[in-house]
Amino acid sequence: MFLARIDGTVVPAKKHPTVEGRRLLVGQRLESNGDVSGDPIVILDLFGARIGSTVIVCTDGDLARAELGNTTPIRMSVVGIVDAVHVPGNPVGRHRL
Amino acid sequence: MRLGVVRGTIVLNLAVPSLRAKRFAIVEPITAAELAAQPAKGGGKSLIVVDELGAAEKEVVAFTEGREAANPYWPNPVPVDAYCALVVRSIDFRPPLNNCAAQGERQ
Repeated sequence: MFLARIDGTVVPAKKHPTVEGRRLLVGQRLESNGDVSGDPIVILDLFGARIGSTVIVCTDGDLARAELGNTTPIRMSVVGIVDAVHVPGNPVGRHRL
Repeated sequence: MRLGVVRGTIVLNLAVPSLRAKRFAIVEPITAAELAAQPAKGGGKSLIVVDELGAAEKEVVAFTEGREAANPYWPNPVPVDAYCALVVRSIDFRPPLNNCAAQGERQ
């Protein structure tokens, strides 16, 4: 699991049938100091995260399988929306969310 | 899932039986810098994904990597670790203004 900031949304032209009607967001992984890292990722959202939200992303597909069925290829899903992050060793301290 | 640009397709001659008649696409993953600079051009290390949606060349797709990529064939064991789950029509990508895709938001 890791922190990610939601930076966008995806509108599919074609999709796997299990994804029909589901919310898919574009996020970027966050490091502990608030930097983004890695390639942008597409995340299943069942909570209503919006652009600018910081979320916890789980890369295990079990939540998606439970919600969308055993044949869903979806792997990354939002498992929580973050209120605040406090990193004591970081001079930046609390992230602005 | 990551995003990627379809660069081409692959036809297999010999293959394990469970992969026969499947369509494979070469996909170049889209990096954060390229996604911010529309239209996205890719920029990552190419990989092969199973594509059952019929994505055309230059189309943007979202693909799953890892064990979950074989879930669509559940309960059959199929050796697939990248699967195209979406063909993208549009992406609304709005990172914060102080984020040049290399630096995150800080207080």
